[in-house]
Amino acid sequence: MAIFMGNQVAVIVGTTTISTFVSSVALNREVEAVEITSMTNTSRNYIGGLEASSLSLELFNDFAAASVNSLFEDALGTKLNIKLIPVTGTVTATNPSYSMSCYIGSWQPISATPDSPSTASVTFPVTALTKATS
Amino acid sequence: MSMVPSNVRNGLKTNLTTITGLRCFDIIPDSVPLPAAVVGQLDLTFDTSMARGLDTAEIEILLIVGRMSERAGQNKLDGYLAGSGSSSIKAAIEADKTLGGACSTLRVTTATAGTITNAGADMLAYRYQVEVIG
Repeated sequence: MAIFMGNQVAVIVGTTTISTFVSSVALNREVEAVEITSMTNTSRNYIGGLEASSLSLELFNDFAAASVNSLFEDALGTKLNIKLIPVTGTVTATNPSYSMSCYIGSWQPISATPDSPSTASVTFPVTALTKATS
Repeated sequence: MSMVPSNVRNGLKTNLTTITGLRCFDIIPDSVPLPAAVVGQLDLTFDTSMARGLDTAEIEILLIVGRMSERAGQNKLDGYLAGSGSSSIKAAIEADKTLGGACSTLRVTTATAGTITNAGADMLAYRYQVEVIG
């Protein structure tokens, strides 16, 4: 696969695919830098610490049964398994999936303005992130 | 949902026909009996959400009331322009925001004054913009 458009990302919460409600998705992988600078170093020195990744979603909200709002609001204070695939379809080495457990520490059941659809903008901390190629 | 343009235009026409006395067209007629509303074409923006979930369309509806010189035309226009009431264009269109299932939601965003020449005479007219998501 070469470069690709970002309009086909699959977003699967548990077993429910919510891609068609997602207007923006970003998985931010980050590992904390732990400083180990010693007396003999001439510049600051670091090693990798704990991973502190996060998942950001912009969603069109929907209060229908088993849809976006109930998925996240019912899980508030707990963790949800979320899976992302860059291009909806078969997972391959060039279209890897990212599976993770997200702590649902916040949710926006109502976020609205008069001139646009109701949306939710959320960022979840990620644990147990795995990348698969099949 | 992926919008079918003809269904959206038909749905808008159906909603507008609830206004007593207003002739409604979803195609541009050769001659226009007044007062009339003509549902225009869709300007589409694709990929509002992932995986072909939602597109956004802007549609112009042309409301033609009568000759510029007629007081009755201006009076009718006031009723059509109101935000609510039995003659309100906005209220009629937004009475069924899914257009019978043709879209997810819609909103009448603006109404702009103007004139249009019909059969050689200047007519009072308004251009309504409708944002449709589906």
